[in-house]
Formats: sequence, structure tokens, C-alpha cells
Amino acid sequence: MFLKQIDLTTALRPSYLPDEVLLFVQDNVGLYEGKYKLPDQQNGQVYLTSHRICYVDKADPRKQSVALDLKDVERYEFYAGFLKSSAKVTLIPKPSKRSSLQSRSPGLGSTPSRNGTSSPLQRSDTPARTPPVEQPPPSTATWVCTICTFSNPVPSNFDPATANVHTPLPPCLACGIKPTLTHVLKAAISNATSRAPNSLTPNVQTPLPLRPRPVSELSGAVSEPSTPSSTPPPQTADPDASFQCPRCTFLNHPSLMVCEICGAQLISHDVPAELRQTQARTESPGPFLNPAVSSLASSPDSPESVKISFRGGGEKIFYERLKGAMTQRKWLLQGAPPIPKSIRSSDGNSSLGGSDSGATVAQTERVKTAGIAGLEQRGLDRRKNNEIVIGTAFEDLEALMASAKEIVALAESFARQGKSGKTSAQDSALLAESAAQLGLITTKDIVGGADESLYLSELARNLAEFLTDDARGVLKKAGGIMSLVDLWAMFNRARGGVELVSPQDFEKAVRLWEKLKLPVRLRTFKSGVMVVQGRDRTDETTVKALLGWLQDLHSFPPDREVPWDWQRFGRGVTAQDAAERFGWSIGVAEEELEMAEERGVLCREEGIEGLKFWENFIDTGEGKSYKTKEQESAEQMIKALREAGFV
Amino acid sequence: MSREPFPFPWEYSFPPFFTRQTNLTTHHAQLVKWSSLILSYCRHHRLFKLSLSPSSTSSSTTTGPPSSVDNPQPSPGADELFYNRRLDKRLSIADIKETIDFMRKDGRAEYVGGAGGDVVWIYWRTPEEWATMIEEWVDGTGQKGTVLTLYELTEGDGTRGAEFHGLDPELLQKALGVLVKRGKAQIFGQEDSQGVKFF
Repeated sequence: MFLKQIDLTTALRPSYLPDEVLLFVQDNVGLYEGKYKLPDQQNGQVYLTSHRICYVDKADPRKQSVALDLKDVERYEFYAGFLKSSAKVTLIPKPSKRSSLQSRSPGLGSTPSRNGTSSPLQRSDTPARTPPVEQPPPSTATWVCTICTFSNPVPSNFDPATANVHTPLPPCLACGIKPTLTHVLKAAISNATSRAPNSLTPNVQTPLPLRPRPVSELSGAVSEPSTPSSTPPPQTADPDASFQCPRCTFLNHPSLMVCEICGAQLISHDVPAELRQTQARTESPGPFLNPAVSSLASSPDSPESVKISFRGGGEKIFYERLKGAMTQRKWLLQGAPPIPKSIRSSDGNSSLGGSDSGATVAQTERVKTAGIAGLEQRGLDRRKNNEIVIGTAFEDLEALMASAKEIVALAESFARQGKSGKTSAQDSALLAESAAQLGLITTKDIVGGADESLYLSELARNLAEFLTDDARGVLKKAGGIMSLVDLWAMFNRARGGVELVSPQDFEKAVRLWEKLKLPVRLRTFKSGVMVVQGRDRTDETTVKALLGWLQDLHSFPPDREVPWDWQRFGRGVTAQDAAERFGWSIGVAEEELEMAEERGVLCREEGIEGLKFWENFIDTGEGKSYKTKEQESAEQMIKALREAGFV
Repeated sequence: MSREPFPFPWEYSFPPFFTRQTNLTTHHAQLVKWSSLILSYCRHHRLFKLSLSPSSTSSSTTTGPPSSVDNPQPSPGADELFYNRRLDKRLSIADIKETIDFMRKDGRAEYVGGAGGDVVWIYWRTPEEWATMIEEWVDGTGQKGTVLTLYELTEGDGTRGAEFHGLDPELLQKALGVLVKRGKAQIFGQEDSQGVKFF
């Protein structure tokens, strides 16, 4: 299914995949499938990440939140909105494996009807797909030279997953200008992604794959005659086989998904009627002529376009960032190996070509040096490596995208180096994780919307996650409660010095916890001190813990002789004692004790040893039954009147 | 007439009892406990006045004389009451005043010679109650219409056994004043030899 259920974090944000980076958040959006609103997903937040688009429902986040992978997105369209209709971004999925099988098998007959000619290119393509494993998809990839616009083939040994800045690239065949890595990378990736589902298709009867027709293109397709659909599949040797664009009639290369001239989607003709009837699963995009049928037949297999309706604005930024994410294709970089070490150790003289020779040179150098000199040499080497990596990575943004993984790794190692000594162990542990955190933090420009409320609510969720993260255990280490100032300092430190949160924003965000039903809460003591603690830690539980502790003191004799009956009264405790007992900070302990006193559970004793808190033996209930004389007389009068029957 | 030492209640040995509580309900309970302690202490020792100043024993007896009450205790008074020697805890003078103010609202205490004084009446029986008691005694002994001196009332053999025997003269004056207002008695005579006639 195009839309998938997702897991949410404790703070009701989507839990991210490794390497996933949050790009944009917008609230007040609704989802459509095809033309129809999804009834349960009409008010929520949309999270655009480098890998996915996640929708988190406001009313029932745990049940109704869904996500779609960007890698499944074939195309995306922008609709600016008109009058009452809000701006929308339409995401059209790639055909799923099953539906592609069904839509393609009937389509094979329609192709020759379109162009009337068959090509050797097509034929050479055809057997390649029949046994899908034989020929890898990159072989047909082309890159268009930016200088002379000549279409060059991507070298067969070029693998987008392992390519880096040092991979040798052949120059343009026409003009001899070397292409940029990213250019070739993009070409290879776009080819790989467009071929990937095809090559996996296990259907051996499909010599020519045809793309399913999206609903939006139906009108154009239907107008074309489909009479020769019964013609047998072409096995001719015509080398000019190509797709004719339904809009401008340009004959495109069969590997292209969109028309080179007008950009129209290249589509197959409609499915023959007999096939539709015989196959139970023919609810492929083809028959979606009738919108009523399509809504009924929204089986999990049928790809249906998903629309995100932006009722609160933000669609333009979303669209821009989506465009960026679709170009970057971060999901392909997952698992890409880092640059081989050998290249880096060379002194740059053979950074592109002779990586092997450079490696051997470096190795021999390393063998020679030993002891402190060797260590120094190694440090020097490493610094040089970093210099090269950083230097090439920041040459331009495109290159940075290609080598993002190494840069992140480098940043992590820098963070680890920087921590040494000066900060406490806890803080440095947080710092080391800061690089991992980079993708998850909410910044003001990630979040859309005119006002800052969305930013604040995202920040609030961010904070809640930060606090409740079991791996970090921020709250747990502080005895389940910590002052807001401490949290603010720790949080900003964890952000690694970028996009720091101002105290005002921080406080506002923290105040939103209650409203967002997050698992942490803000508490203000009567002195005005603000602390954060888990939602389950209420005053009652704290009081219970305090009382239990004080009652324990009844049974343990005090350290020295005391003039009172300790078996009856126990003993008084100072804030220091409580802080030690519960792992609180002294300030928090004071506040908690005073809170318990405020509730009448404890009472105080001021003495030369300072302020001590005791179990409350003063207010033992007599206070309530105590009445002043006027009250007493008034009650007597009422009693008398009642007896006399007046009242 | 020797008396046993006053049996202090358990809260008297509870250290926080001597610290002013900040919690309102706890503080109220504290005031209630202190005022009942003061009343029962004074009743035990038949103290009618209490000197509040935390001075030495001797000065307390001079400024706030427990009048003619026989007191075998070394110094039953504010010093013993508000200072727990065992705990080494003392109720501060401000807290004592607050307690007295609390009792005044209840009609159980009154400053001698107006507010701000150092000595207070502790009304473990209010003047009205004393007046009723005297009236009942007069009724019970059939002395209506007779004239009695004030000395006779408090120190005379006739009242031995009655509760108001040994009553502070000033307090007696107040009690009789109540009776006069009710029209049950009339006071006449000079400063030192006053008499009262009951109707």
C-alpha cells in the first residue's frame, strides 16, 4: 500500500529511520486519496523528511498516522489552490509490483499500434527484461552533457551506490568535457529507480513494459484509438522502436518516462476489456475511468495518488523541499560505503586516478616510522584526510550531498574529540550524540506556518522526546525531576551550539506540554521555581514517597539521644536529607517538602539545625471540629429551632 | 493545697509544635492546640492572669501575680508553659501574642489594661460563666437579698468548696459587673470594703 502505518515516538512524532533528516513540518493539513478525502485524516501535521512524508493525525495520532516513502513516489504535482479549495501537493505513486504486472501485460499489444514501427533498440531491450537478471539496469543509462547536450552512456562500471568524488568519469563523447560526479550520479540514479520495478517484474510474458496510466492522464489516453490492441507483441528487429508522446507525438526513447519535448507522461494505452474481466485484480490504474469505481476499488494494491491539502499554508516551502528531497534521493545513499581510506592517505597527487599506488606509498611510509614520530605521522595523515574530505565536500552543495555521509561521520568524531575533559561526563555523552541529533531537531525554518505556534509545538515534542529518551535518561538521572533552567542549558548544549533555543521560546514550548498530552509536564512551585517531571509523577506520589520515608524513621533509632519520643514522632528531615534520599537537587527537595507541607502532610520546625520537616502531628483533625463560640451558639440555636419544628 | 505537676499533652513534646506553621490549616490546628493547652494549664494551676514576657521567674511573678492562688510549683506561669526545658524549645513572643489574639477572638483571653499589654487574662471561665456560677451559689444557699462583702465571696469560709473560691478580685469585679448589668446584684461601698447585694 502506498500509505503505511507508522510508529510514533513518545512525543507523538514519527520515529525516524537511521540517517533520516527532517526537512519540513506543517500543521493543519488533510489527506486525499485520488479525488476523495480520507475521512479520518483531515487534520494533522505533515512531516517531510529526506526519506518519507509522514502524516500525524491530531485527533487520533496513534491510529491514523500514516507515511509514504519518497522512493515510491513517481511524480509530484503542485496545485496552487483556487477560491475555497486549498493548495495541494499531489503525490503519484510508482506502480507497485503487482499492478505493474497486470497493467503491462495487456499493454504490450498497444505499443506497435502507436508507432507502427518496431526497433532493434526495443528488441534489444525486450529480451533483457524477459530474464531480468541478465542485464543490469545501469547499462542503458545516459547522461546529457551540460555543455553540448549530447547524450552519453553512463559507464557500465559506474555504480551510484559506491561512486564518490574520486571515481574516474569519462569525458563527454562529443565535446570532451568531463561531467560532474553529481550529474552522472543523478542520471544513473534516475535510471536505476525507473528501471528497478521493471527489472524485478517476474512476468516472463511481458516483453515490453508499459507504465500504468495515472488517473490524471486518462482523458488524453482514452481519446486515442485502441482498436489494434489485439495485435501480437512485436518481435521485429526495427531499431527505431520508441514511445510516441500522446501530447506532442514526439517519438521518445523507450526508457524515458516523460516526454523529452513537452514533459507529458508517457503512458500505455488502455487495457483491453476482455483482460479486465478475466483478471480479478485488474483494478490497476487503467480502468479508473469512473471515479466512483476507483473509490470503491481502492484495494491495497492499486496505486492511487495521494493529495496533501495545505489548509494552513506552507505548501510552497513544502513543495520546494520535496523537490529537493526527490532530487537528492537520500534513501539511495543508505548503506553506501565510505571513501576508501587509501585515497585519503595519498598526498593528493593521485587523488583521482592512481588510488592504489597512493595507498601503497602511504603504507610504506607508515611502516618506516615508529614511536612518537609514527604517531605524529598518523595524526598528520588523518588531518590531511579530513582536510581533503572537507575541502572536496564543500566545493559546492552538490558535492556535499554526495559525500554527506562522511561529513556526518567526521562531525561526530570532532564532537567526540572536543568533549575531552572540560565538561562533565553526562554532558559530553550528550554532546557526542549531537551529530545524530542534528537531523531531528526542530528549527524555525523547518517549520512552516505564519505564526510560531507550530514551531513551539514541535519544539515541545522535541523536548519531550529528549527528556523521555531511555537511552539518554535525562530525567531519570535527575531523580525524575529537574529544574527548567537546567533542562534549557542541557538541551541547548545537546544541540551542539547551532539553532539554540531562546529562553522565551523554551518556556512557551514547555507550557504546551499539557495541551499536547505529552508524557512530561511542567510544574511551578509556589516560589515560582519551574521544574519538569514525568506526567505520572504527581504531587500525590511524591507525598506518598515522603510519608513512607518519614514513617520508616519511626522504627530506626536516631543517631544520637533525642529528647522526644522518636518511636512516636520519628524525626525531622532537612531538605539536604530529602535530596540525598531521593536523588533530587537541594532546590527541588526544598520545593517538594514545602509542597507536602502546603498539603498539610508535613509540618516544620525551625531550630538551630535549620529548617526541619516532620510528619504533621499538629493537625490531627481537631482543627476541623473546633468551633468558635458564635458558631457554637448559632448551631445550638438552629438545633433548638429544629427541635421546636420551626425549621 | 499541693498540686501535682501539670500533665502536659503529647504535642508538647513534639518539636515542630514550637515553630509557627506556615500552612494555614496546620497553623490553625496549632493555635487551637496551644490555646487549649494554655487554658488547661491555667485551670490546673488556677491562674487567672498570665505574663507574656519571656523574663526570669521572679519578674514574671511580680508583673503577673497569680494572686492568692496557692501554688506549690516553683513557677507555674508563662516561663514553664511556653518553654519546654527538655526539648530546649521556646514559643516565641510573637507566636504567643498570636495565640493570645486567637483566644481573644474566642473570648478566652483579654489584655489586662487594654491591648498591647504584657499581662493577659486567661478566661478558662469567662466573667459571664463566673457570674452564673456565683448566682447559682447565691440561689443554692438562699442568700438572696443579703449583703456580702467581696472578701467573703472569694476568701470566706462560706464559699470554701465553691469553684470561685480564691477568685482574683479584679475578675470577681468583672463577674459581679455582669450580674449588675443583668439586674441581679448591686455593688456598693468603698474602694477596699465593697459589698454586694443579690436580688
